Amino acid sequence: MSDTAAAHEAPTSTGIDHKKLIMWLFLASDCMFFGTLISTHLLYRKLFPAGFTDAEGHQRFIQDLFSIELTSFSTFILLMSSFLMALAVSAMHKGQLKSFRRNVLGVIIFGLIFLGCQVFEFTHFYHKGLTIQNSVLGSTFYVLTGTHGTHVAIGVLWLILLYFYSFTGKLGGHMGALDVEVAGLYWHFVDIVWIIIFTAVYLVEYLGPYGIWGSGLPAVVK
Amino acid sequence: MSHDSHHAPVACKTELAPERSDLGLYRPDRATGLIDWLTTVDHKKIGIMYGAFAMLYFLIGGVEALAIRTQLARPDNDFVTARMYNQLFTMHGTTMIFLGVMPLSAAFFNFLVPLQVGARDVAFPRLNAFSLWTFVFGAFVLNASWLFEFGHLAGWFDSFAWHKALVYTDFAPANGWFSYAPLSGTFGANGQALRFTGVGTDFWIIGIQILGIASLAASFNFICTIINMRAKGMTMMRLPVFTWMTLVTSVLIILAFPAITVALIELMFDRAFGANFFNPSAGGQPVLWQHLFWIFGHPEVYILVLPAMGIVSEVLPTFTGKSLFGYPIIVFSGAVIGFLGFAVWSHHMFTTGLGPVPTAAFSLLTMAIAVPTGVKIFNWLGTIWGGRIRFTPPMVLALGFIWMFMCGGFSGVMHSSAPADSQQQDSYFVIAHFHYVLLGGVLLGLMAGLYFWFPKIFGRMPNAPVAYLGSALVILGFNLAFGPMHYLGLAGQPRRTHTYHAGNGWETWNFVATIGAYVLGIGVVLVFGNLVWTAFRGKKCGNDPWDGRTLEWSLPSPVPEYNFAQAPVVATRDAFFEHKHGAKKIGLENDGGEAGVHMPSQSWMPMLASAGFLFIGFGMPMMAMGIPHAGWLVISGLGVLFLGIWLWALEGPGGYMLKTPAPSGAPAPAETVAH
Repeated sequence: MSDTAAAHEAPTSTGIDHKKLIMWLFLASDCMFFGTLISTHLLYRKLFPAGFTDAEGHQRFIQDLFSIELTSFSTFILLMSSFLMALAVSAMHKGQLKSFRRNVLGVIIFGLIFLGCQVFEFTHFYHKGLTIQNSVLGSTFYVLTGTHGTHVAIGVLWLILLYFYSFTGKLGGHMGALDVEVAGLYWHFVDIVWIIIFTAVYLVEYLGPYGIWGSGLPAVVK
Repeated sequence: MSHDSHHAPVACKTELAPERSDLGLYRPDRATGLIDWLTTVDHKKIGIMYGAFAMLYFLIGGVEALAIRTQLARPDNDFVTARMYNQLFTMHGTTMIFLGVMPLSAAFFNFLVPLQVGARDVAFPRLNAFSLWTFVFGAFVLNASWLFEFGHLAGWFDSFAWHKALVYTDFAPANGWFSYAPLSGTFGANGQALRFTGVGTDFWIIGIQILGIASLAASFNFICTIINMRAKGMTMMRLPVFTWMTLVTSVLIILAFPAITVALIELMFDRAFGANFFNPSAGGQPVLWQHLFWIFGHPEVYILVLPAMGIVSEVLPTFTGKSLFGYPIIVFSGAVIGFLGFAVWSHHMFTTGLGPVPTAAFSLLTMAIAVPTGVKIFNWLGTIWGGRIRFTPPMVLALGFIWMFMCGGFSGVMHSSAPADSQQQDSYFVIAHFHYVLLGGVLLGLMAGLYFWFPKIFGRMPNAPVAYLGSALVILGFNLAFGPMHYLGLAGQPRRTHTYHAGNGWETWNFVATIGAYVLGIGVVLVFGNLVWTAFRGKKCGNDPWDGRTLEWSLPSPVPEYNFAQAPVVATRDAFFEHKHGAKKIGLENDGGEAGVHMPSQSWMPMLASAGFLFIGFGMPMMAMGIPHAGWLVISGLGVLFLGIWLWALEGPGGYMLKTPAPSGAPAPAETVAH
């Protein structure tokens, strides 16, 4: 994991470790990345509020597909995984390797549950007629949430590798804690992005004319 | 980790004992020759390779430009077909921007930034090697599309059944360097993904994507290096201006490239998987592509020009014997240019019908960005004013930069007025404008940098008469080629059109422009050829031939692997100049010099990881062509990438100790070279 020659030699000019700084820079870049994807989705939602046309030619609304209970559950799970990640980082700083492993295993399992929910959701939406090809909505929805899912999957993979690496005895000390902390920064960021996506892509849909305060979905679609 | 304690310091790395990495594989630390270059993590060698590849692509892009000018020399010419012409101007623009100017800037970043901040390497040496090889493979993928085009022209593909299905118009990219949707995208409902253009566009998409990854990785690295690895006393406001501009450029790259990354992903999904992001038949908005492209594309202009501005800010003080006039203002202006660069993208889109309010706002902001640019120019003039000017080759080129860049700036301000811009849009006037900025500005600036730092890089002095002749031909040919285009544009000649009829009054100036282009071509070959000759055969020179001002001139030429035998302690701006002529000397940090300098280990892994992009780069276009099982090539590419990163993580950082010729207590490196 350690890439830098200087990290364990000279103190840095700012006192921030190189690895931590470069992760913050990556996250700044990733903000713009998700910002662009979310903007694309929202722009097209404004242009085409009515949703998409399914294979039978029926006009369908996105609220019609959502299972907000399921998505709220997976959001909660992801939030809790961040809590466990914080515990894992804290354990690593204290040198408690066993506690680190326990917590990081929790993060991995929670991350996998989130991914499982997303796979279920994608399949469910697909069977209800929303595909990447039949509408702009399908394209933006699947690519945006799929990109986030890819981030989670990379995070899970990273944590699995760290988990097994911890058994080699090489993960320890300041550098080990730093490696875990950097993975933690990534994980928290991916979590925060999901909070934004959950709000902008799911919750906001319930505020519009077809949402809870409007007249509800037109009868024809149901 | 005790990896760096079991080595006794050695005088040369070939004396090292064979060492296995944490993985049990031998490290290529002791390698010399080709393997040394392929596995190096030394920022100086990586910089030299960046520079060499950039010059190669400058020549390829130049040949493309000359083919374009030859075609346009006469009306109704048929030197190349319209199909070939489209590919030529697309690849000319893409090559010059992504494979010429950006890597040449990266060459300077690599070579200079650690030296100027007083560090022994960049923050992440292996990541730096990864950036280089990712760039090399991305550039290869992009240009490999030409091989398909040539194969097609030679008739090699005619007997293949898949040939008819895979191409409509082109094998090499042919959409322009901006690849506007819907031309680059798809049409047709329900995921038919019918395409206007051929596989060249897919090569372009994946090639730019790979190059973007290289630029991003390099930028993270440079920001880390500049912020975190400054020598003692090297405060931010003592950084050389070139380093400051590197910092601003890197910040621009990490914030601007995500927009094009997402746009490319969306376009790739349209073409390969039948998505509808830019598909007008399904409600996709092609104008969204323009927005996403220019949110990246305009900062990209400053990504290209700021490094050149940094170089000029180093060259002018050296050859006038004065410190840079208004250093804080120059730094601040550079940062303001970077900041405003994100707020002007829609001035590329005035004719799309944004509406009066956005048009007025973007007009205003575009005019505003001329202010910090003008401030910089006046500061440079202030630097020259009253100085004892030495007209060395780098100085001549730097003065050319100011002059030519200013001309480009003036026509740029004309574009900021939306009504004027709607007349100039897509005409040769725009071509004249951005070539004055990018060629008269950026290329002259980069050439000045090459002539300025070549004696430091290779310890050899370029031939001055050839340099003067080359510079004169470049400036003369360039003005001859692009000056008339202002007139041609205002007289109505459209861009990106493979020919024109006689009788429009364009014949004379097109012919003059073509002559100018050839003069320019000869000049560029002289300038670059002189440098290549210098690298191998040039006359040896001292460590500080120009009476330099910044830390890199305090080092021997060529610079030893470890850069600084002892870390410098800086007390002022222009530290080395003050050290030689003033009261404030460069101190030396007592950092255990006699134990040797810790060097990072060389590694195959960055290159292995980058090689994954080679598979992905060929797999994606083949997948879009509909070649069976091409998806497995992409998946194996991802596998190679993952494997490379994984082994990279597991092999451990390694490192060894290198003896320095000056043990602690010996004369300072600065004193050994002082006159």
